[in-house]
Amino acid sequence: MKNRVGFASTILLSSVLFLSACSNGAAENDGASASPAPTASAPAANAGAADSAGAAAAQAEGAIVASDLSKLPEAAKKRTDTIIVGLVDPSGAFTPYFQQSGYDGNVSSLLYTSLVLVDDKGEPTPGLAEKWEASPDGLTYTFHLRPDLRFSDGSPLTADDVAFTWTILNDKSYDGDSQIPALGIKGAAAYKDGTAAAVSGIEVKDPQTISVTLDKPNAAALVLLGGDVLSKAYYGKDYKQGDLGYMKQLSSSPLGNGPYKLEKFIPGQEVRFTANEHYFGEKPKTPHFIYKTSEGDTWQYLETGEVDYASFSATQENIDKLSALGFVNIVPYTPSTYGYLQVNLERPALQDKKVRQALTYGLDRQSIYVDAQQGAGVVANIPSPLTSWAYTEEGINAYPYDLEKAKALLDEAGWAEGSDGIREKDGQKLKIHYLGSKSKNTDIFIAVAQENYTALGIQFEPEIFADFNSLVSKVEGGDYDLVSFSTPMLTDPADGLAQFVDGEIKGFDNAAFKELYDKGLATTDIEQRKAVYKEIFQLLNDELPVIFTSYRKSVYAYNGRIENLEISPFYGLAVSLPNWSLKDVQ
Amino acid sequence: MSTYLIRRLSYMLLILLAASFLIFALYALTPGDFISGNIKLTPERKAELRMIYGLDQPLLDRYLTWMGNALRGDFGISLAQQKPVLTLFQDYIWNSFLLAAVSTFFTWLLAVVIGVLAAYRQYSWFDSLVMVLIFAAMSIPSFFIGLFLIKIFAVDLHWLPPGGMTTTGSNAEGWAYVLEVADHMALPAAVMTLLGLGSLTRYFRSNMIDVIKQDYIRTARAKGLPERKVLFTHALRNALLPAITLVGFELPALFGGSLIIESIFNWPGIGQLYMKSFGLRDYPLLMGFTMFIAVLTVVGTLLSDLLYRIADPRVNL
Repeated sequence: MKNRVGFASTILLSSVLFLSACSNGAAENDGASASPAPTASAPAANAGAADSAGAAAAQAEGAIVASDLSKLPEAAKKRTDTIIVGLVDPSGAFTPYFQQSGYDGNVSSLLYTSLVLVDDKGEPTPGLAEKWEASPDGLTYTFHLRPDLRFSDGSPLTADDVAFTWTILNDKSYDGDSQIPALGIKGAAAYKDGTAAAVSGIEVKDPQTISVTLDKPNAAALVLLGGDVLSKAYYGKDYKQGDLGYMKQLSSSPLGNGPYKLEKFIPGQEVRFTANEHYFGEKPKTPHFIYKTSEGDTWQYLETGEVDYASFSATQENIDKLSALGFVNIVPYTPSTYGYLQVNLERPALQDKKVRQALTYGLDRQSIYVDAQQGAGVVANIPSPLTSWAYTEEGINAYPYDLEKAKALLDEAGWAEGSDGIREKDGQKLKIHYLGSKSKNTDIFIAVAQENYTALGIQFEPEIFADFNSLVSKVEGGDYDLVSFSTPMLTDPADGLAQFVDGEIKGFDNAAFKELYDKGLATTDIEQRKAVYKEIFQLLNDELPVIFTSYRKSVYAYNGRIENLEISPFYGLAVSLPNWSLKDVQ
Repeated sequence: MSTYLIRRLSYMLLILLAASFLIFALYALTPGDFISGNIKLTPERKAELRMIYGLDQPLLDRYLTWMGNALRGDFGISLAQQKPVLTLFQDYIWNSFLLAAVSTFFTWLLAVVIGVLAAYRQYSWFDSLVMVLIFAAMSIPSFFIGLFLIKIFAVDLHWLPPGGMTTTGSNAEGWAYVLEVADHMALPAAVMTLLGLGSLTRYFRSNMIDVIKQDYIRTARAKGLPERKVLFTHALRNALLPAITLVGFELPALFGGSLIIESIFNWPGIGQLYMKSFGLRDYPLLMGFTMFIAVLTVVGTLLSDLLYRIADPRVNL
C-alpha cells in the first residue's frame, strides 16, 4: 500500500514540476510562476556574433545598474576567466537539428554559428555567410560563405558541408523538429522516397558558394536555411541514405564552428566550454563559460555568486528583490513569443465570429496578464511577437474590456439569456470548457475569467492539467472550447502564422488569409512584407481564430562585473556572449 | 532450501513479466505521447514522427518489440536524451546511490541509538522529547525543510553550498574531490536522514521495549551483567532481528533516487531524470527505469527472506 501511494504521488509530482521547466520551450502562458527558468528557450539552434546599436538603446529603458559591487559574493569575485550561467536541463544531445530539448539548443547555440543571423528586430544579418541573394522569382537562394571558415578541429568548412546538412535533414529517417524539410526544396521529396541519390535543388557552385531552389517561394527560407552547418567529414562518414541512426552516437561529442567548443559535459551538473581558436570572429573575451544545470529556483545561486546570470519574470517584487542585492545589473527583456487562447472552431457556437469577439471583449485581459502579474506582461492583439519588425498597432482593435459591448455582440449572435442567467440558443446553453496547465497564472486566469464570463451569461467550466502532454492530447481529441497556449520562439513573422495554415488550428478556413499568407512569403523585400503582414494582422485581429492574450516580460539579472552584455529576443545570450568581459573589482 | 529457491525464482520471473506488461500499458495509455508535447511540429510532421518511432503501432506490438529487445539486453535509446538508456543509468544512478547510502547509514545509526535509549528510559523526559521531535520531523514537508536549510546555511551563513554535487567549474581530484562532494552532500543527506529517522526510530523503540520485558533480559541483569552489556549485546541483537526484513526493502530506495530532495538540492541523480522523462513521455527510459526498480524490489524481498533465515535458525524455508 505504501508503495502504491508513493508511486501515485511520484507521478503527480513529476508532472507538476515538469511544467515549470517545460523543455520544448513551450507550453503555457507561464509568466511568473515558471519564471526563474534561465534562458528558457532560445531557438533550438542559432548563435553567432552580431551586434546592434538598436539593442542597447532598447535595453536602456528600465535597466538598473548594480549599486554596490562590494556586495559581490566571494565566489563570484574569485572567478576571473569564467562565466557561469544556469540552464535548467541540458541533456547531452548537442548536435543541432538532432536534439529534442530547447536546453540542448542553448548549448549548441554556442558551439555552432548560423549562416544567417537576425538582429533584434528579426532582420537577417551575416553569420557564416557574408552575403546572399534571392532570385527575382523568390525560388532560388544563393549563399556566399566567408573565406577560410573552419570547424573547431581545424578542418575547413565549405559549401559541401552546407549541402550535406540540408541533404540529411531531408532524409526519411530524420526525426528532429527542423522546419527545413517542410520548406519543399526542389527534389527533396524524391530524395526522401529514395528515388534520387541527391537533392536536385541543392547546388554547390564553388567551395564558398551554394544555391538552393525551392518548389514554392518562401521568404522565411532565408533564415531557416541559414541555420547551423554540420561537418560532412565528421557527421557524414557513416551516412547511408535512409539511415541516420548513427547520429545518436555523435550527439555528445559535437564538432562545431561557433565561438566556443565543448570542453566537458558532466551529466546533471554542468557543461563546460572553452574558446574555439578556429572561430572566424573575434576570440571570446572570456575564455571559459559554464552552463550549470539548475532546476527551478536560481535565486540561491545568484545570491551566493555561483551563477553570474539568471532570468526572472519582470514582476515588481522580483525587480525590487534583485535591486536590493546590489551587485547585479538588471535588464528587461521580451521573448519573441505570444500567448493565446486556442478556440475550438469545430464547435458551432464558436464558429460565429461575434461570439469569439464577445469572449475577447468580455475577458479582462489587462487584469489577468498585466495587473495580476505586477506588470510582467503586455496584452497581445495580433499573432506577432512584440519585438518583430512586422509588429504593428495600426488599425488593430485592442479589444479593451467592455462588458456591455460583449453582451450586445452575444445578443446579436442570437444568444439570449435564459431563466437561469445562462445564455441559450436553439435550446443549447452557452458553455465554455477551458483547459489550462497547472500554474499560478492559470489560477489567476480562472478566477478572473469565471467572474467575467458569468457576468456575460456564459457557463465557464475550467479543467486544470498537471501534465502538458495530457492537455495536448485532450486538445487533439477535440474535447475543449478554450485552451491556453504560448508559441515557441518565433523568428520570421510567418512563423507565428504557421499554425493557421498547417492544420494545427482545425476549422479555420479563410481564403483571404491564405492568399495573404502566400503573398507574405512570395517576396523577400521587408517593406513589401510589412504591408502584407499588417493586412494579415488586421484580418486576424478582427476574425479572431484564436483569442490573443499576452506577451511575457522578463528581466535578466547579472553579475555587475560583466560588461558588454546584450540579450537578443531571438537568441537570448548566445549572440553577445563572446563579447562579455569581466572587469576588475576591489 | 534449493527447491524453495527454485520455486521463488520462478515466481519472481512471472511477477516481473506481468509487471512489465502492466507498467508498459500504464505508460503507453497515459494521455499524450513523446510527440504531442512538442508544439513546434505540424500535425503532418507529428504523424510522420509517430511512424518513425513506432508509436502508431498497437500496444501489444509495441510491448513485444520492447520485450524482445530487452531480453537481448537492449533497453533502447532515450528519445529525449539520444543516449542508450543503460548509459544514462550509469551517468545518474551512482550519484543517487551515494546520497541514499550515506543517508541510510546515518538514519539507521541514529535510529538504533535513539530508539534504544528512548526505550530504555521509556516515558522519561528524554523519551517524550525525542518522540515530539521525531513526529515534528516526520510531518515537515521535505521541500520546505530543504529550502529552509538552504536559506540558513547556504544563502545567509555561507557555510555550505546551496546545491549540486561539486563546485561548478572545479577540477578537484583525490581527497579534495571527496571533501568537495561531502561538503555538497551535507545538506541533502541531513534532510533525508531527518525525514527517514522518524518511522525507523519508532520501530526500534517499540521492538526494544518488547525485548526489554523478556525473561532473559531479567536473567542477564540478575546475573550481574553491566547495564550497557545487557542493553547493547543481549537486548539490541534481538530487537534488531525483525529489522533485517527492512534491509531488503531498502534496496530499491538505495538506487531509486529521491525526486524531491534531488530537485531541491540540484543533485544529479536518477530521480530527477525519471521525473523529467515522465513529463516528456520518454518511453524507453521510463520503462527501463521502472523495470529496474521492479527487479530490485523483487530481489530485495527475496534477500530479506534469506537473510532472516540466516539470522534466525528457527525460521524454516
